Amino acid sequence: MSVSALRNSSYSEPRILLAGALAVLVHLVFIAVLIFGLNWKDQQPEGMMVEIWTELPTPIQESVKTQSPPKQIKPAPEPVKPKPEPERPKPEPVKPEPAKPAPQQAAVTPPVKKPDITIQQKPDPIKEIKPDLERQKKQEQERLKELEKQKELEKKKELEKQKELEKQKELARQKELEKQKELQKQKELAAQQQREQAAKAQREAEAQRAAQQAAARNQITNEISKYKALIQAKIRSRIVMPPDLPGNPIAEFSITLLPGGDILEVRLSRSSGHAVFDNAVERAIHLSKPLPLPPDPALFNEFRNLNITVHYRE
Amino acid sequence: MSTTVTQDMSFLYLISSASVLVQLVMLILVLISFFSWWFIFRKLFVIRNEKRKTDDFEDIFWRGVDLNALHQRITSARYDSGSLERIFAAGFGEFNKHPAGSDLDAVMESTRRAMRATYQREMDYLESHLSFLATVGSVSPYIGLLGTVWGIMNSFRSLSSVTQATIAHVAPGIAEALIATAMGLFAAIPAVVAYNRYASSTDQLATRFESFMEELSNVLQRRAAG
Repeated sequence: MSVSALRNSSYSEPRILLAGALAVLVHLVFIAVLIFGLNWKDQQPEGMMVEIWTELPTPIQESVKTQSPPKQIKPAPEPVKPKPEPERPKPEPVKPEPAKPAPQQAAVTPPVKKPDITIQQKPDPIKEIKPDLERQKKQEQERLKELEKQKELEKKKELEKQKELEKQKELARQKELEKQKELQKQKELAAQQQREQAAKAQREAEAQRAAQQAAARNQITNEISKYKALIQAKIRSRIVMPPDLPGNPIAEFSITLLPGGDILEVRLSRSSGHAVFDNAVERAIHLSKPLPLPPDPALFNEFRNLNITVHYRE
Repeated sequence: MSTTVTQDMSFLYLISSASVLVQLVMLILVLISFFSWWFIFRKLFVIRNEKRKTDDFEDIFWRGVDLNALHQRITSARYDSGSLERIFAAGFGEFNKHPAGSDLDAVMESTRRAMRATYQREMDYLESHLSFLATVGSVSPYIGLLGTVWGIMNSFRSLSSVTQATIAHVAPGIAEALIATAMGLFAAIPAVVAYNRYASSTDQLATRFESFMEELSNVLQRRAAG
């Protein structure tokens, strides 16, 4: 009796609940590993998805666009710089032409006049001094002095006038230069704007062209597939199906077409294995001429050699 | 369908999009795996406990304690006794029940029978659930394989309705099906390892118990004779 009691007590196992908790913990760890492991693997296929390829071209174009404007802007100043250089020389030659002659005239004319007067006057005093009186000489000398003073005054006035004129001219030149510079700047700005606008327009035009081309391609493929389906449907509608063939035999025909939909040649490229079915399909192809073709003759090349597969059961 | 699947290949999505049978297989495998791990830990604690107690008792026994006092102590501390202590208590109790002067052979025979019976029960207790671990180790890969085969069959069957077959049509189905195999292997591998380890541990304990039984019967026989 005591033994059985002992045995019963032995079945109170140690730490059953702890064992259960540990088992749960192990499974939680395993599930976490599975979830995170599969998620981690999941990110790689996402990176290789096709959608990203369709998005990629536009960033490339954008990056090209963003890169190209700086290129365009950089050359822009370069052609602008040469322009001011040739234009600036123009005012520079203008400067020397009026400026140099003016001082030359100012410098040259007075000495030329002086000799004329002195030469004319000096002989006179020399001739007159001898016969005439000293008063006359004095008077003449005074007159000469006055004349000289007047001449000097005149010279000064002329010089002042010339200086003023020169100043005015220089001011005018400077103003003109400033105006020219402003004009050049404006021209440069306008040119840059024009270039930017042109670049923008080019980009837009390129994008439009690409979109149009894509749309056109889509339209073309749509047209082709549509008319191929039409041809299939027409041929199918003319087949007089032989009854009770086993399975789903497939007959393949290659057809050579003429523009307008006439059939030049019908060739059995893969037999279905049932001559009855092959013949029925061939008859149907001949019966269904003219085959429907897209109105655009440029697409006819897609239909010149047609491969048609006909399933016994749809 | 295929596009959404390629967008979301997460673990939970794969499980939730699996077919009913595959989901059932997964549920079974999760339960099996849970119970197998539960028993693994239970047996781990039980066997470790048993080994420690056997060591302690052998240590005490061979130090030459008074057997009557030892028997008294074991029967009073009944809730903290090990298998070997119970075997000793059964044998010694049976030996003491016989009045002095009775046939020695008959006494020893009945003593050995009592110890043998307790030994059988203790071994039964120690080896309980080990067969479950063995079953899990051998069967759960097949259950997982069944789910995988079923899932792959379904994914290929869905291919037949598609004219242009791509790997994207089959991949999610195969992935969700392979989860079942993964779960089966997850349940099976630790179960096999634990079964082998615990089987050898119980074998070692069994040899120790048997040798102790022989030695105790020798000790008792000498005591009765002397």
